[in-house]
Amino acid sequence: MMILSLDLAAAFYLAVAILGRSRRDHWIARFSGALLGLGVGMHAVHFYLLHSGPATISLESFVAALSLIAWLIVVAYLVTERFARVQAVRPWVAAVAAAVTLIATLGLRSSLGTPAPNPSGGVWSHAHVLLSATAFSFLAISSVVGFAYLLKEFRLKHHGLSSTLPALETLDRVVHLSLALGFALLTLGVATGFAWARSQDLAPWTAHTLWLLGAWAVYCVPVTLSWIRQQHGVAPARGVVFGFLVLAFSYVGIRLISGGA
Amino acid sequence: MNLVLVGLNHRTASVEVRERYSVAPADGSGLNEKLVQMSDLDEAVVLSTCNRTELVAVSSNPEAAIQCLTYFLRNEIGDGRLDMDQIYELRAEAVVSHLFSVAASLDSMVLGEAQILGQVKDAYHAGVRTRSCGPILHRLFQRAFRTAKRIRTETQLGSSSVSVARVGIQLARELFESFEDKVVLLIGAGQMAEASLHGLREAGVRELVIANRTLENAQLLARRLNARAVALDDLEVELASADVVLASVQADRPIVTKTMLEKSTARRSGRPLLIVDLAVPRNVASDASELSLVYLYDLDDLEDVARRGRENRATSIAPAEAIVIEERDRYERWREALPTVPTIQKLRAFAYERVRGELAATGQASGAELDRIARSMTAKLLHEPLERLRREAEAGAGLYYRDAVERLFGLEEED
Repeated sequence: MMILSLDLAAAFYLAVAILGRSRRDHWIARFSGALLGLGVGMHAVHFYLLHSGPATISLESFVAALSLIAWLIVVAYLVTERFARVQAVRPWVAAVAAAVTLIATLGLRSSLGTPAPNPSGGVWSHAHVLLSATAFSFLAISSVVGFAYLLKEFRLKHHGLSSTLPALETLDRVVHLSLALGFALLTLGVATGFAWARSQDLAPWTAHTLWLLGAWAVYCVPVTLSWIRQQHGVAPARGVVFGFLVLAFSYVGIRLISGGA
Repeated sequence: MNLVLVGLNHRTASVEVRERYSVAPADGSGLNEKLVQMSDLDEAVVLSTCNRTELVAVSSNPEAAIQCLTYFLRNEIGDGRLDMDQIYELRAEAVVSHLFSVAASLDSMVLGEAQILGQVKDAYHAGVRTRSCGPILHRLFQRAFRTAKRIRTETQLGSSSVSVARVGIQLARELFESFEDKVVLLIGAGQMAEASLHGLREAGVRELVIANRTLENAQLLARRLNARAVALDDLEVELASADVVLASVQADRPIVTKTMLEKSTARRSGRPLLIVDLAVPRNVASDASELSLVYLYDLDDLEDVARRGRENRATSIAPAEAIVIEERDRYERWREALPTVPTIQKLRAFAYERVRGELAATGQASGAELDRIARSMTAKLLHEPLERLRREAEAGAGLYYRDAVERLFGLEEED
């Protein structure tokens, strides 16, 4: 049931990603919104089952963190949708969430039955995972919206209309705000990660932490442009897209390469 | 009761003729009254837009009504110098389809334009004010508005703009979320730019600035548009604060250069700038589009976008026409059921009186309570049979069932 609920959540996200192609139809748009809500609900049921039963997966494990990230990406998007008309990027966000959830569900299947690693990091480890996962979700939103900005900007510069995507101003605002929120949380996530390593006498300079620091440094560029120099437009959008690629590699890529879970 | 329509439009008459036969909005009410008074029409409405003048009426004698409407159109509205082949006549279902198509802008010169619906609404309101619009036309117009709304939301007919001025506004929507805090700079006072300005005002733009070579002319236009006038020498300063620029000055060389825009961009805090160059020769140097956050469109670009809009609209015609047919059939079903309405009213009154009489005889209720119970029992008793009667009437058997009900309950004797 625990895995089934996660599979169902992934299926709902995938359905939204596919249905989103017909977003001009009002009813399909509403239906896809409801499906996304169902996916979030089913994902929450998965978390409940994961933590209410005999826990075999800890929050600090790779698959649990991935699942949490996927769920937070959708939640962060739904929060964004309340404040900005960004429904056009809903299928993109759903596709990202579906992909991450699918990786999580595959990882969960293979890790079931194996003894749970002992995180024993206490507050620091939980704080690190929660802050980093929330940061990841907001930065994922900012990169998806940033990509939409670049696409729309390119089309407008080449004298084409792209009415299905939100106005440039809306996209820019969402990039600006989600970047600020995501970067602040990422900074706290990095700090709590070091605190966790220190409290457990672990080596702080692993490939993961080095890449994470690298991603943080990359994000300093769009943050400086967007919030300190008040620069809008293409440069911050490029920055968030590139930053997210580095961040995603630091979370997922490096673990996949090293084969760790 | 039959629907009839007589009129002329851009397909049958030249613009000179249409001008002679157009009706000013203020005259619509008076003409409605006059039309109903001087003829044997039950209901009538005069519809006049920039491209059509039409008279739609309800009459028990359609042929006489057509003659009357034709005479009225030729001699009361116009000057009598109108060839008969410039007038078209429509009857019954064709009137319904036509009016629905007109309201939805399927019959317009510019397919999908939004203004026509407002003009049809104005004609309807004039008819309501003068009471020349009765239940049949009332329902017809309401259905027409509903059809137009459905076509606008369910097809892409209204989603792509077709006129150059409207394309400019659509472009601005691609960049900006709202126009309330945006500054629009109008360079020159060309008609095309002015038309776009009206559209931007409707979209919510509050701050308009007009820059012109002759400051007096700018001030004149500024007073009319509630804007601020500046001289062309202040252009560089104004470019720094503008969000949308509409340029339409007669000049043999660009008056907005890349260097000028580069200087102003430094003071813009990263805000995008949309420039719509409506002038030939162009007012804005073409290399300005190389600048980041500057989106430059000239007339060729706009026409290209407008052409794509027209193509999009053309694909929406078939679904839009299907909606017109669907809504026409619904309206016709309603009209089929119309003759049964008096019978339904008589049957309700008959049943109410009987039920009330029987209840009063029992002495268990009186006054308002008695009325309430009698009304409730009548409604429950007659709900199913009346619903069936309505359905049969919509299916075309209304007169048969009406006669049967009247004979069974002896209602015809009460006439």
